[in-house]
Amino acid sequence: MNRRPTFLLSCLMFGIAFLYVPILSMIVFSFNNARLATVWGGFSTKWYGKLFQNDQVLEAAFLSLRVALVSATVATILGTCAGIALARLRRFRGRTLLSGMVTAPLIMPDVITGISLLIFFILLGSWIGWPAERGFTTVALAHITISVTYVTTIIQSRLSQSDLSVEEAAMDLGSRPWQVLRDITLPIISPAILSGWLLAFTISLDEVVVTSFVTGPGTTTLPILIWSKVKLGVTPDINALATIIVAVVTVGVLIGWAILTRSDRRRRRDMRLAEQSNA
Amino acid sequence: MKFNRRQTFAALGATLAMPYVRPSWAQAGSVNIYNWADYIGETTLEDFETKTGIKPVYDTYASAEEMQAKMLAGQTGYDVVGHSGLNMPQMIAAGVYQPIDHGRIANWKDMDPDVLAMEAVWDKDNAHGVPYMWGSVGVTYNLDMVKERLPDADLNSLDVIFKPENAAKLADCGISLLDSPTDVIPMALRYLGMDGDTTNVDDYKKVVELLKPIRKSIRTFDNTNYLNAIPNGELCAVNTWSGDYLVARSRAKDAGVDINLAYFVPKTGAPAWVDVLALPSDAKNVENGYAFLNFLMQPEVIAACSDFTGYANASLAATALVKESIRTDPAVYPDATVKSRLWAPKPYNEDQDRAMTRAWTEIKTGG
Repeated sequence: MNRRPTFLLSCLMFGIAFLYVPILSMIVFSFNNARLATVWGGFSTKWYGKLFQNDQVLEAAFLSLRVALVSATVATILGTCAGIALARLRRFRGRTLLSGMVTAPLIMPDVITGISLLIFFILLGSWIGWPAERGFTTVALAHITISVTYVTTIIQSRLSQSDLSVEEAAMDLGSRPWQVLRDITLPIISPAILSGWLLAFTISLDEVVVTSFVTGPGTTTLPILIWSKVKLGVTPDINALATIIVAVVTVGVLIGWAILTRSDRRRRRDMRLAEQSNA
Repeated sequence: MKFNRRQTFAALGATLAMPYVRPSWAQAGSVNIYNWADYIGETTLEDFETKTGIKPVYDTYASAEEMQAKMLAGQTGYDVVGHSGLNMPQMIAAGVYQPIDHGRIANWKDMDPDVLAMEAVWDKDNAHGVPYMWGSVGVTYNLDMVKERLPDADLNSLDVIFKPENAAKLADCGISLLDSPTDVIPMALRYLGMDGDTTNVDDYKKVVELLKPIRKSIRTFDNTNYLNAIPNGELCAVNTWSGDYLVARSRAKDAGVDINLAYFVPKTGAPAWVDVLALPSDAKNVENGYAFLNFLMQPEVIAACSDFTGYANASLAATALVKESIRTDPAVYPDATVKSRLWAPKPYNEDQDRAMTRAWTEIKTGG
């Protein structure tokens, strides 16, 4: 009789173990005294010390964070615009084309995106002299290209669930389009904007394939550096860095989750109040 | 929290511009280097900056293919690129690299004539590449594990791996081949007594036949993971590049693993490899590129690079300055006998490339 919960519970445990045991083992091995990733040589925090002396790794990590910050922000702005357009403008010329084109990069292999961006930047460079050299800007642009799709999809689905009549009411009461956007639409989709931004940030932070095509001198991002270190074996200071990143991300996700649940609760309460006052 | 349009855009603009605010070193002079990760001396870049005031920017690639794709596309912004000698002919034909003025590298006279001769097979008169590190293809054995199973094996011979009865005995302690047809196939051709540079693509079939009966004894085809697998005792007969054996040994030592390793270049012959440094045709800081090459080729500087990478450099004057454990290791600095076994494979044409890839797929899948 009590079979089902046991079964479900073991499924859940298995799933969690599947996801988190590898990360956990990496965290454990970041405290390994030995240089080999697979032999336990006693507890030590020496790799954390080594990490903070390794300028190459720190610079790459800092660069990745800057790229992620810029590309997530721009992608969120563009994605929000596109998402609102696709959800609110019911019919316009080229709507199917636009929605198809927005989602195409989702299924496009990264290698193809990478090569086409590389060729595009080179052509652009020889035609108009910009970008003269690939680097921070081209990497950020490439990441925007990838992540804008995800943001658009999130914003669009959020808006299609919400009620258009609220915006129409505001417009009837004399709000200008900018006021409607600021006071009604954006607050409605703010949780979606936040989760879109977080997703774009994460995508940018671990993107390797496209990035490797569009980087230039002095812009080796963290994932590329780690990937290129594989040739001589990854050193445990990378484990230490990854552990720190996991810790930061965990805190970030917890904060994001807290904000989302709070605003969701407030929204529900507001809606309930609105219904009550209507009645 | 009410923003009007102008405030919103101003705040956004400021946020987005922030990452661009950083010290610019372009006017102070820089040199952009593109090479394997950790493939340079530990302090070489800092020393170069202190000595010349030129800021070195060192970027890394994960695979030769990735680097070549980018170089062929052009306009990479790099001034000095580390490149495998074997792949230089295509790059030179495509005009990727500019000729190097040997007169501008003060220590060019120290270059090992043997290494220069090998590099010249891929790059006529060493016109486009400065030999950096070089080495051989061979087999690293875990002596204790191999001796236990094959007490009287001649480790200088590839019989140990290529004879099915030997391979079967070593199967349980682990045989690994390089996942690199351009290294394994020429070596196997020479083992069969054929020309390692054969242009008759039918000869590759004989290599497929040779490897077929031992395929089930080969645990893996791999170029990097053995650096950890050897110290762990997971593999005992490992086809590797010369320097990897030293890396594996030092890893074992770091981890406190007691292991008895030895590296052999097969007596039937093995390909040599030479990594070169080249200046792209569209390099912007050619002067600084030369300054870097000139600095790097000083005996004490290049010796420090060998100390860190564990590979032999091409400068004869530097040999005496290299760490003794590396300098005296015949796997890294081969003696005359071993050197005579090495040859620089001739560049492949497209037919060979295709046939080799096909043969390699057959070998790996057990055809």
